[in-house]
Amino acid sequence: MNKGNLCFVLHAHLPFVRHPEDEHFLEERWFYEAVTESYIPLINAFDELVEEGVPFRLTFSVSPTLITMLTDGLLQERYLRHLDKLIELAEKEVQRTTNTVLHPVAVMYRDRFHHARYIFAQKYGCNLINALRRLQDLGRLEVITCAATHGFLPLLMTQPGAVRAQIGVAVELYTKHFGRPPVGIWLPECAYTHGTDEILKEFDIKYFFTDTHGVLFASHRPKYGVFAPVFCPTGVAVFGRDLESSRQVWSSNEGYPGDFDYREYYRDIGHELDYDYISPYIHPDGLRLNTGIKYCRITGKSYDKEPYHVDYARSKAQDHAGNFLFNREHQFQHLNSLMDREPIIVAPYDAELFGHWWFEGPYWLQNVLRKAHYDFPGIDTITPGDYLKKYPCNQVVRPCPSTWGNKGYNEVWLCRENDWVYRHLHIAATRMVELAGEHAYADGLKERAVKQAARELLLAQSSDWAFIMHTGTMVDYAIRRTKQHMQNFLRLYEQIKTNSIDESFVGDLEYRNNIFPDININHFKDKNPEAYSATG
Amino acid sequence: MNIMAWVLGLAAFLLLLAVIVWRAGINQRALRKKFGSSIASPMEEFADEIAGDFLVAPTPYPKTKPQHPEIPWHYGADRMVLMVRDPNWLFAYWEITAAKQDEFSQQYGESAWSSSRPVLRVYDVTGVEFNGNNANNYIDFAISDYVDNWHLDVSRPNSTLCVDVGRVFPDGRFVTILRSNLVHTPSMEVSNLVDEEWMWIEGIYRTITRLHPGSSPMMLEDVSQRMGLVPLGISSPEFAKPGHNGNVS
Repeated sequence: MNKGNLCFVLHAHLPFVRHPEDEHFLEERWFYEAVTESYIPLINAFDELVEEGVPFRLTFSVSPTLITMLTDGLLQERYLRHLDKLIELAEKEVQRTTNTVLHPVAVMYRDRFHHARYIFAQKYGCNLINALRRLQDLGRLEVITCAATHGFLPLLMTQPGAVRAQIGVAVELYTKHFGRPPVGIWLPECAYTHGTDEILKEFDIKYFFTDTHGVLFASHRPKYGVFAPVFCPTGVAVFGRDLESSRQVWSSNEGYPGDFDYREYYRDIGHELDYDYISPYIHPDGLRLNTGIKYCRITGKSYDKEPYHVDYARSKAQDHAGNFLFNREHQFQHLNSLMDREPIIVAPYDAELFGHWWFEGPYWLQNVLRKAHYDFPGIDTITPGDYLKKYPCNQVVRPCPSTWGNKGYNEVWLCRENDWVYRHLHIAATRMVELAGEHAYADGLKERAVKQAARELLLAQSSDWAFIMHTGTMVDYAIRRTKQHMQNFLRLYEQIKTNSIDESFVGDLEYRNNIFPDININHFKDKNPEAYSATG
Repeated sequence: MNIMAWVLGLAAFLLLLAVIVWRAGINQRALRKKFGSSIASPMEEFADEIAGDFLVAPTPYPKTKPQHPEIPWHYGADRMVLMVRDPNWLFAYWEITAAKQDEFSQQYGESAWSSSRPVLRVYDVTGVEFNGNNANNYIDFAISDYVDNWHLDVSRPNSTLCVDVGRVFPDGRFVTILRSNLVHTPSMEVSNLVDEEWMWIEGIYRTITRLHPGSSPMMLEDVSQRMGLVPLGISSPEFAKPGHNGNVS
């Protein structure tokens, strides 16, 4: 019988955006919107499948910055206030749209937000990590980690200590929250370069992912292409992304999310309704923002849009789920005719694609997982960990340095708009390695200062800042964050070196940038500098 | 004294202007109130709000953000760092301290710096243990004295490279000032090396080649689509598409 393994990977990440100084900090809304529109709907979709008894498997990567935000008391409180305002707006919308075609959509939003509040506050005690841990413990999710602040590792490899800290800090945070060490990792931006796997091996990480060409262009031609993992010479496994399944979901032209029955992202009432009416629900400075309430469906290429119909969209999502599996079945049939073992298809996506951008995404995914179980006996959903248990013997190759960014290499994170950041990040990493070596046994204020310096460096290293500089939107914030963390680091370094640590300065930074409270600075120590040749 | 008068005059003029504009703003708002804001499309409405607030309040809108935190550009350390952008392009940055420059002048003479020109020399050291003299070959890039970073088009996939920043004398002699780390560029194609034990399956590659390996065809769309994703500007005003003014209600 034809048999194939479908490996969904969702990567959930947001940069650390927490501004205790300002309740209405614009960029914190990234977090609120992702929680309401992506994380809660995805968790809800998985929970419903668990209740139905569907035995699905899915790999879920949650970045350490996102774990920190999801478990942070201040952000939890603020999120709840944000959600309550949204519920208030949705209630008003239900009234305002009475007897119009938009009414059922308004009711849908109101019900969704109430349900989101129930899931967030009642069911999981305001901490969605509880939900992920539960789903992992139930055997449905394989939750994996990501680099500490989503640092772009290939371009940090000139200081292996910096990469080791990105990994080590992530592994420790994961273990603290999930009660076991992570078996796998999502490398930020799917970015791999030689030497990365040596560091993953130090932390007993069994596998990571690359883009298609990361495996396909390996040192030796991989027997099964991307339809089976390969091992790095270190023994860490690599799974390559499948192009076909990616395209069906990602592509803006051919992909499902562009279907005319699906919800239109751009028509948000935060931008469209009368200012006096909407002003309590947008930024207090009057800046119009997305609220999450959008009444139109994509309709077509033209500007005129028709109202959204929940039933049309849901039925389309079901069709698309069936179509996705039908195509995978064909792909598996073809691969089965060529391969002497069961193929694996790896389909990784940004988690925020589901729900936030593609409104029906979580529902589609739920349907895929359900249908795969009931209607497609030849397709098993699987995690990389499961597959490696099934097939522990794999070809050994050196993967090709690669990313899933535009053009497949490092250009997005190393272009004229952001190349300046590396001269700062590299010297700070060198200095941090020096501090870690000199002050490994520091205590009291000095220990606090060294640890805070490490936090500031990690925060400056987030790949998000370089990415935002590249895209050209919100650039000011990205530059500011990079420079601020660098400045904080350099000041702390000076103060530590000259034995003149300003306690109030350290205290203020500990309060503002409170990520990784238990950070272990030993990860920065150079273990064997000769072992690595920088390849990034 | 003269300057003071100018400043005072200018301040008075600005004040007068502000008052006039402010009154105009009030009138406009009064009119809008009178006839209802439904005349204006929501986008225009938004624009008016910005303009109104901007003119009434002395603080511009959106609020001017404080200056960026200042960080140094030079760190007082000699360094030359080479990074890979893609199979064809590298990026190098460097810092040559005054001490290093003095050292050069002491060794080659006071006028040596000004009589020589700066060059980046990229060595291809694929498969060799580089000792400074045994590179397979090298490419020179002439640069100016005023740059300290450069994007280099070397077009060398799957190669080991390193770069010197140095000076070339009129007689063609090259002197290294700083040498970078080694980098290895990624490959752009399926390897010709095959394992006998893991003999590749041609049929699989045939399906994949059909999908255009290497240039990841969906990537461009990826990026344009990712613009809509958290955190890439979802809450930014620029995110609203032009002409975004249809009424939904």
